Amino acid sequence: MNESYAERGYARGGYARGGQRSTKAERSTRAGGVILAAVALLSSFLVLWGLYYATGTGERHKVALAAAGCEPNLLSVNVGCTTVWMLERQWTQLTTSDLQQLNADVADYTVNARRNLAKAESALTAEVTTAKAFDRSLAQFPFPPVVAPPAKTLIQAIQARIKLMGEQARSSSLTQLRSFNDRVNASGAAIQADMTLVHKALYTRPTVNQEP
Amino acid sequence: MSTTRDYERDPYAREHDLYPAEPDLYPADYESGVYPDDGLGKWGDEEEPAADHQPRRRWSKSVDAWMEGRIKFGGTGVKRKTAALILLGAWGFLPLFFMLPSLFTFNTNTIGNSVDDTLGTGAMVNLFMCLLITPAVTLTGQRWFVPLRRWYGIMFACCGIGDALGAAFFDDFAGNPFAKLVEHTFTLIGFLMVLLAIPLFITSNNWAQRKLGRYWKRLQRLTYVIWGLLFFHLATLEGFGFQRGSNGSGFAGDGDAIFHQRLYQYCACSLFLLTIRLPPVKRWIVARQQEGRNRLVFMAVMPIFALFLFGFIFIINELIFKGTHSFVENPSSE
Repeated sequence: MNESYAERGYARGGYARGGQRSTKAERSTRAGGVILAAVALLSSFLVLWGLYYATGTGERHKVALAAAGCEPNLLSVNVGCTTVWMLERQWTQLTTSDLQQLNADVADYTVNARRNLAKAESALTAEVTTAKAFDRSLAQFPFPPVVAPPAKTLIQAIQARIKLMGEQARSSSLTQLRSFNDRVNASGAAIQADMTLVHKALYTRPTVNQEP
Repeated sequence: MSTTRDYERDPYAREHDLYPAEPDLYPADYESGVYPDDGLGKWGDEEEPAADHQPRRRWSKSVDAWMEGRIKFGGTGVKRKTAALILLGAWGFLPLFFMLPSLFTFNTNTIGNSVDDTLGTGAMVNLFMCLLITPAVTLTGQRWFVPLRRWYGIMFACCGIGDALGAAFFDDFAGNPFAKLVEHTFTLIGFLMVLLAIPLFITSNNWAQRKLGRYWKRLQRLTYVIWGLLFFHLATLEGFGFQRGSNGSGFAGDGDAIFHQRLYQYCACSLFLLTIRLPPVKRWIVARQQEGRNRLVFMAVMPIFALFLFGFIFIINELIFKGTHSFVENPSSE
């Protein structure tokens, strides 16, 4: 390098004036190489470690989801994940209003079943409408895989009850109307049992193995 | 080559390295960075390009010259350099673009919840892009992309100021807007960074550059103070650890808690940006390039750059993730 300075007539100038300064510069350049080598080594190690760490992403993802109470298969880019508590809240909102309405319809039917056929049938029709709406809401509810089978049974039980109540609503007399009561009550008990199963399954935190 | 008087009168030319750094000491045909001591006393010098040997310089100059050519566009033509700068620079506007819908609709919920994430991360991206220009010049010897430094700097300031305004007026912290900015250590440091960015933003034009003369460059070196403060801002915001289970910093939902720790991202990116700026390292690179050992330089720099990319990709991921939520005005709760 100094040669080229000399050739270019700069030998009298600052850098090529004495060997001392150029040696200092060379030493500094060498130090630059050492620094770069050290940082490159550290970086290589960190990059390789990062890649190794990335291989365990799947397992850590499952653990993290389970720790956060994320429901399997209900991961959403939008909210990160649907947690057990979020799902519980949704379930409570869904069931509370529909069950209240159904209870009111049943009470109305019970009052009129012995004395007024038209009012009793009207109460039954209202109950069928509410039950159908409840059935539709259940079909759209994002049940996690573990809860899906009891939920399916519940939906089938509700549909059976709707069918039965439809027949009951077409009765021509109060006696015929009341003859359905035992079967309707039995289907109601089946629905109640299925509801309990769904509720229990929904409120159970997913395990690491259940996470996708 | 212009005279010393021209140089002093025209700081813009000095900034663009049209004149030597020390015109009185060096000969008239001085080429920046050719001398071994060029790096000395230039810590954090954003303006000096890498010195190089003739073949490399020729190649770099030829790329610069090619960029000056024109692309035919309809009836008219546009400079390749202009087109490339627009394409590369447009990304700097992305954080502000993400916030536009909530600004137009004045959706305070979105602004309050995600302005700090979207614009804060955007400011970090723009700062790193701004700081990346000098190492890129050092390593490639090309200069056509140098104007991007100013653009990314401006975008950094805009994002930072937007972040501070959002935090001051729409955050959940208690107190008046000023109290919100100073009541936590990390907000105080962030506020300080914004205060430092304001004079840089105001003076980021040719007129200010001419008026301030040699003081302009000194003022612009505040960028390094901001860079340093960002470390403390993130350290106080995120801590030094990472998320385990549901506790700690960095979102662990996808199982990559370490990669999402913003302080680690900062360190991974800064290592490259800092190392290439060190004068001895700069000199070593120049010396090896002069010897024609570009492969050695490549081998030495590649792992550090790979680490930079590792960190930077996750910052971009954060920006796009939070930014798209802000854009659809459904702010992420993470």
